[in-house]
Amino acid sequence: MAAVHGDTHGHEHDDHHPSGIMRWVTTTNHKDIGTMYLWFSFTMFLVGGFLAMGIRAELYQPGIQILEPELFNQFTTLHGLIMVFGAIMPAFVGFANWQVPLMIGAPDMAFARMNNWSFWLLPVAATLLIGSFFVPGGAAAGGWTFYPPLSTQGGLGVDMMIFSVHILGASSIMGSINIITTILNMRAPGMTLMKMPMFVWTWLITAYLLVLVMPVLAGVVTMLLTDRHFGTSFFNAAGGGDPVLFQHIFWFFGHPEVYIMILPAFGIVSEIIPTFSRKPLFGYSSMVYATASIAILSCVVWAHHMFTAGMPAVGQLFFMYATMLIAVPTAVKVFNWTATMWRGSMTFETPMLFSVGFIFLFVIGGFSGVICAIVPIDIQVQDTYYVIAHFHYVLVSGALFALFAGAYYWIPKWTGRMYNETLGKWHFWLSMFFFNLTFFVQHFLGLAGMPRRVPDYNLQFADFNMISSLGAFGFGLTQLLFLYIMINCIRSGEKAPQLPWEGAKTLEWTHLPTPAPYHSFEKPPVVN
Amino acid sequence: MDKIAEKEVNVSIWQIAKAVFAAFIGIRKKSDLENDAAILKPIHVVVGGIIGGLLFVLGVVLLVKLVLS
Ligand code: HEM
Ligand SMILES: [Cu+2]
Repeated sequence: MAAVHGDTHGHEHDDHHPSGIMRWVTTTNHKDIGTMYLWFSFTMFLVGGFLAMGIRAELYQPGIQILEPELFNQFTTLHGLIMVFGAIMPAFVGFANWQVPLMIGAPDMAFARMNNWSFWLLPVAATLLIGSFFVPGGAAAGGWTFYPPLSTQGGLGVDMMIFSVHILGASSIMGSINIITTILNMRAPGMTLMKMPMFVWTWLITAYLLVLVMPVLAGVVTMLLTDRHFGTSFFNAAGGGDPVLFQHIFWFFGHPEVYIMILPAFGIVSEIIPTFSRKPLFGYSSMVYATASIAILSCVVWAHHMFTAGMPAVGQLFFMYATMLIAVPTAVKVFNWTATMWRGSMTFETPMLFSVGFIFLFVIGGFSGVICAIVPIDIQVQDTYYVIAHFHYVLVSGALFALFAGAYYWIPKWTGRMYNETLGKWHFWLSMFFFNLTFFVQHFLGLAGMPRRVPDYNLQFADFNMISSLGAFGFGLTQLLFLYIMINCIRSGEKAPQLPWEGAKTLEWTHLPTPAPYHSFEKPPVVN
Repeated sequence: MDKIAEKEVNVSIWQIAKAVFAAFIGIRKKSDLENDAAILKPIHVVVGGIIGGLLFVLGVVLLVKLVLS
C-alpha cells in the first residue's frame, strides 16, 4: 500500500490528469466543475421543460385529454422543483465556478475537493426526483411548495422528494461556503471589496442568503419527514400541530430563495450592460448597497405568500408594507442600468439583447409582484394564473434570460470560439415573442379567476389557454435552438478574438488569454 | 483612549447609520462611499445592517399600529 501511495504521489506533481470520464469524476478544477454544473442544469432545464410541455398540452383545451389529474399534479410539482433546484440554481453556481476565480484573480475555488462533491451530489438528487415518477403512487403531487396535508399523505415519491431536497440543500450550502471563502480570502492583491465586479458582489451576498435559509428548508422537510414516519404532529391539527406553521417556515426560506435566484442574475446583467454601453456601471456603490439591503429585507416579507391563509390585520398590513418597500432598492437597480445605457455608445449583440430584454420584462414582473402584495387584490388573485404570470416574468424573463445573456457573453472566454451571432439573435427574438405569448395572457386568465394547478377549466378560459399553450410549445422548441447554437460554437465556432467585446473591463478579459487556460492566475495579477 | 480615538468612534457610529440608511434606499454618493470604505470595517456594516433591519421592522410595525388605531 505504501509503495502504491508513493507511486501516485510522484505523479501528482507533473501535470497529469486522468482522461476520459475519470477526468470529470475526479476533477477539482473550477472550470471543469463549472462546465459540469452548466451541462447538468441545462439537462434539468430540458427535463423540466418536458414536464411544462406536458402541462401546456393538457391545458391546450378544456377537458382531460392527455394527463390524468394525478399525473398532471405530479407534472406541475416536479416541473417547479426541477426548474428551481435543478435548473436555475445550479446554473448560477456553474457561472460562479467559472467566473468568480477569473474575476477576482484567484487560481481556483477555495475548497476544490468539496467543490467536486457539491457537484456530484446533484445527479443523485436529480435521479431521486425523476425516479420518483416510477415508484408506486408516483411522484410528489402537492405542488413545489409541498404544503401539508397533501405532502404528509403522499407515498414513497414524497419521501424521495424530501431526501432529494436534503441533498440539494447540502450541495447548495457547501457551494456557498466555497464561494464566500474564495471571495473573502483569495482576491488578487489590490482587488478590494469595493473594486470587485458586480457579479462577484451579488454572488457573495447570495451565498450568505443561501447559508442562512437552506438550513431552514432542510429543517422544514425534516419536520415533514418525522410527521410522515415518526409520529410527530408539527403540521397535523389533530395532534395539536398547525399546517400553517409549515407555510411560515417554508416561506421564510421561500422568499429569500426567490432573491437567491435573481441576485446573481442582477450581477450578470450588471456586467453586460456596461460592456455593451461602453460606459462604467452607473452607481456601482448604490448597486452594492441595494443588493445588500434587498437581501436583508427579503427575510421579513415572507407572509405575503400567505395572505389567504388567515392572519390578523396587523400581519397583513405589516407584510404588505414591507413587501412594497422592498421594491424600492429593486427599482434603484433598474434606474442604474438605464442610466448606464443613457448616452452610451450601445451595440446590441446577443448578450446585450437578452440583458435589455431582461430589464424590460423583469420590470413587468416586479410590477405584478407589487400588485400581488396589495392585500385586497391578492385575496382575489392568490392561487390563480396571475401569480403564475408574475413569477414567470421574474424567473424566466428574469433569471433565465440573464443566464442566456451570461452564456453568450462568456462562451468565447470559456471555449475560445464565437457563437453564431445571427442564430443568437434569432434565439433572442423567438424567446421574447413566445415567452410573452405564453405568459402575458396568463395575467388575464388569473384576473378572470382561473385557478393554478388544475388540469381542467371552464369554457370561458379556453381561448387564452390555447394561445398560452401555443406560445409554450414555441418557447420550448426555441430552446433547442440554444442547445444547437452552443454545441455548434463549441465544436466548430469561429476562433474568438482575444477581446471579443471591446467594452469589457473585468480581469478575465484584460488579464487572461482567450480561451482561459486550464490553470489560470497561478500567480495573482496586480490590480490597480 | 485619547481624544482623537474617541472622536473617531463617534464619527464612525454616525457614519455607519448613514451608510446603512443609504443602503436601504440604495443610493450613495461616490465620495461618501469612498469615505465609508476607508473608515468602516465589514463588521460595522454587518452589525449596523442587522440593527437597521430591526429598526426597519419596528418602524413598519409602528406604522401599522398607527394605521389601525
Ligand atoms: C418587486 C419585487 C417583488 C414583489 C413585490 C413580489 C411579490 C410577490 C407576492 C406578493 C407573491 C405572492 C402572490 C400570491 O401567492 O398570491 C409573489 C409570488 C411569487 N414570487 Fe414574487 N415578488 C417580487 C419579485 C420576485 C422575484 C424577483 C422573484 C424570483 C426571481 C419572485 C418569485 C415569486 C414566486 C416564485 C412566487 C410564487 C410562489 C408560489 O406560490 O408558487 N418574485 N411575489
Ligand atoms: Cu415572496
